[in-house]
Amino acid sequence: MGPFPLSPLVDVLERRWLHYAFLSVDGRLGLVANVAWLGAPPDGSEGAQRATSILLVHRDGAGWDASQFNTRTRTPLWSAFTRPHPHRQDGPFDLTAVSDTVAARLRLRRTGHPCTSQCAPFADGHFLRWQSEPGVLASGSWRFRDEVFDEVTAVGYHERVRGRWGWPELGGWVFGFANQAVPTAAEQAQGPAHAVVFTLIQPLQPADAATASVMFWRGGRLLRHFPRRRVSVAVHGELDERHIVMVPELARLLGTPPMVTIPRRLVITAAAGEDRLCLDFRCESVARVVIPAETAINPFSVHEVIGPVTVDGVVSRRSVAFHTRGIVEFAGGSSGD
Amino acid sequence: MTEAPPPAIDSAAALLVATVHALSERAPAIVAQAAHQLAGIILGLRFGDGSMASLTSHRSRLRSTPLAPEQPTVEAYFDDRALNLLFDLERRPVDQVWEGSLDIRGERADVLATIRTFQTLSQRAAGLRVVQTLWRAYRDRTPQRWGPVPVDDAQPRPLRAPQWSALEYLDRRGPEDLGDCDEGALARGTVRVPPRVLWDGYRSVPWSLPPAHRDADLFSTLEGCRLRVGEELQRIIPADREPRAELYDLIRLYPQRAGKGLRPTLIIASCAAFSGSTEDAVRTAAALELFHNGFLVHDDISDGSTHRRGEPTLHESHGVGLAVNAGDAMNLLAVDTVLSNLPTLGLARTIGLIHEVLHMCRETVEGQAIELAWIRDNVVPSGDEDYFTMSMKKTGWYTCISPCRLGAVCAGVTDPAVLGGFDEAFRLIGIAFQIQDDVLNLVGEQALYGKEPLGDLLEGKRTIMLIHLTRSCDEATRGWIHELLATSRSSRTFGDAQDLLRVMERHGSLDYAVDVADRLAHQGVRRFEEDLAFLPETEAKGVLRQIAHYVTTRPL
Repeated sequence: MGPFPLSPLVDVLERRWLHYAFLSVDGRLGLVANVAWLGAPPDGSEGAQRATSILLVHRDGAGWDASQFNTRTRTPLWSAFTRPHPHRQDGPFDLTAVSDTVAARLRLRRTGHPCTSQCAPFADGHFLRWQSEPGVLASGSWRFRDEVFDEVTAVGYHERVRGRWGWPELGGWVFGFANQAVPTAAEQAQGPAHAVVFTLIQPLQPADAATASVMFWRGGRLLRHFPRRRVSVAVHGELDERHIVMVPELARLLGTPPMVTIPRRLVITAAAGEDRLCLDFRCESVARVVIPAETAINPFSVHEVIGPVTVDGVVSRRSVAFHTRGIVEFAGGSSGD
Repeated sequence: MTEAPPPAIDSAAALLVATVHALSERAPAIVAQAAHQLAGIILGLRFGDGSMASLTSHRSRLRSTPLAPEQPTVEAYFDDRALNLLFDLERRPVDQVWEGSLDIRGERADVLATIRTFQTLSQRAAGLRVVQTLWRAYRDRTPQRWGPVPVDDAQPRPLRAPQWSALEYLDRRGPEDLGDCDEGALARGTVRVPPRVLWDGYRSVPWSLPPAHRDADLFSTLEGCRLRVGEELQRIIPADREPRAELYDLIRLYPQRAGKGLRPTLIIASCAAFSGSTEDAVRTAAALELFHNGFLVHDDISDGSTHRRGEPTLHESHGVGLAVNAGDAMNLLAVDTVLSNLPTLGLARTIGLIHEVLHMCRETVEGQAIELAWIRDNVVPSGDEDYFTMSMKKTGWYTCISPCRLGAVCAGVTDPAVLGGFDEAFRLIGIAFQIQDDVLNLVGEQALYGKEPLGDLLEGKRTIMLIHLTRSCDEATRGWIHELLATSRSSRTFGDAQDLLRVMERHGSLDYAVDVADRLAHQGVRRFEEDLAFLPETEAKGVLRQIAHYVTTRPL
């Protein structure tokens, strides 16, 4: 059974996501996971489980590997958004590919607070609402193919997404985050000194639906939100396709169309009043996640990109300057998306 | 990829000539478009340093000389500051043209066509690294002509908001190094694409939106692909297995004689155009080179050719028996090489490759059979279509169509409808390419072309020129040609071949062939854009496009 066995091609789905992305503090490992609950079947029947979950693990020098859209999960997964809990209490995050090629058995803990919810309406009643929280700490074991890495500490990002959209209407997005490095145990306990999250949503219609934002955290608190008019985004160069892997493995059977090239460099700037921020991200390794689309024959693609990022600027009269590793998503961009 | 040191350029006119020469060699698609826009115009150029040049077009080719034309239809004047507008991507264009800095005079339509030509050249050629190298060399030689150098990184923070844009950062404050490209990438790094804005606070440009056209430096790409596949061939051909002197050394001979690298480039670029890894296509490209060279060895024996790529043919230097055996071994080794993709590409793609290779070989031997039968029966076909069919089968499949299809299969494409997107475009281009090769055999320099001069006439090869000649000449000439072709190759003299060439020239057969090749190539280019429109505008597609245009622009 595929993930959408009962959906006709005209059905735009209600979606609820929990999204996770982590980078180990030693720079060796990266992880992206998405757990999605999809709306009720169009005939209103109950009981059909409409959920997908995928886990991607990146190992420096070895690239990406991924599960299918059917990881085994321990429910409920830890989330800052699903239920009230003490601020620094950890919770379980277990995802394992059915094939056991990739797995994460972690304990997650927040060190900060999320931003306020943001919303992007587009097309005819479609919308995407999201809420972000950087600075999430993770510790536990990771599996990448035949290797198991125990007692790995990572810092990352958690997000909830809720909305109703079709992939072709959504068009594409560019999204990413950067946490300042936390090399010592004391710094890990406190969480990243600074963190940045940016979003560029690029729906096809209407013309003014595109929106962007940059958010800046200091000491776990959202300090500045640069709104769309105060943000600019530019790209340069092309990443060689040798650094791009398509996942999950079954994607080749979906008649996946060729993709456009991924930029080699992404720069986001934000300026408001005396505040300035500049993120200079260099793409290194890409996993192209091919997602079956419910309303189109061709699948949709989300490109998860790992690479170094430099953050520079002045916020609230204090300089910000750090170099770290981040994760960026380039979504869309394949013929037929 | 390392660039050769730029030639000494001491005037603006010399710079223009060198630029047009470099573009003709490396970016046929750009030249074809510019030549189309300049059609019929004789452009006289005067520059601020007192030098003069002319720019004209002939068919799809641009011609430039460092001399003023006698009767220009359009005259243009540039000072160096205005030259900067055209090409120099390393510096941002000047904001406006000063009075007296740029002047173009002529009929209104011709002036507009000239401006369109400059636009094409500036928009599409400025990104080529080789062009940038030329212009940098010229600018560095005479920096005083270019005005003050903009000061970078001197602005104290905080900057005003308009200066804190992502594009401004990529342009000036943190630009990429010009040499900052993926080393080892075969079809990349020869073109510098400027940074682009995705969001400026008001307007969104999809991150995935490709430019209308992507260009590539064909020369560098061909060289890179040829060298990479050459390395693979050295690995594949046994180095320490006997009999070396009688077999394996012979197998190595033809691949070592450098060709253009067209087939390896088509395979690798096609694979990359379908998002495949270029490395996935290298082994198959090596296999195709083995097939190709095996065909050549046998073909040279069939035709009685004496030279191949400037050196004696294998059967001339080692005897027919060993040459036939070496050709057989090349084909066997090629099959083995295709099968060796199994561990890396998997079963489905390897089976797809075998399917494609079998089809390619069948077409090739059928084409060869048609041509050999014409020669045996002393028949010259009366219609061009017969030649097109033979040419497509004999060389078109394995030179143009199959490499593209094989590259796509390497990337995981096995859908016949998708693979078929290459067929018509590269059928037309392949035939045009073969006709041009035949013309070059008659009018080209041996040092460049590699075959013996007039070899095709000595062989009695049924070319489009010969077909046109027998169709358009009088009975007496037709009878003379028939008698000449009826003799054996060894009894034909170089004088006979020269006589035949003169008759061809008198009847316009060479011009006719060039016209036919041009027409087919243009049709092929059009089909390329139509049938492969579904491919994203990547640099790999840009390479395929340059090869498609190469036929129309290469010098004759």
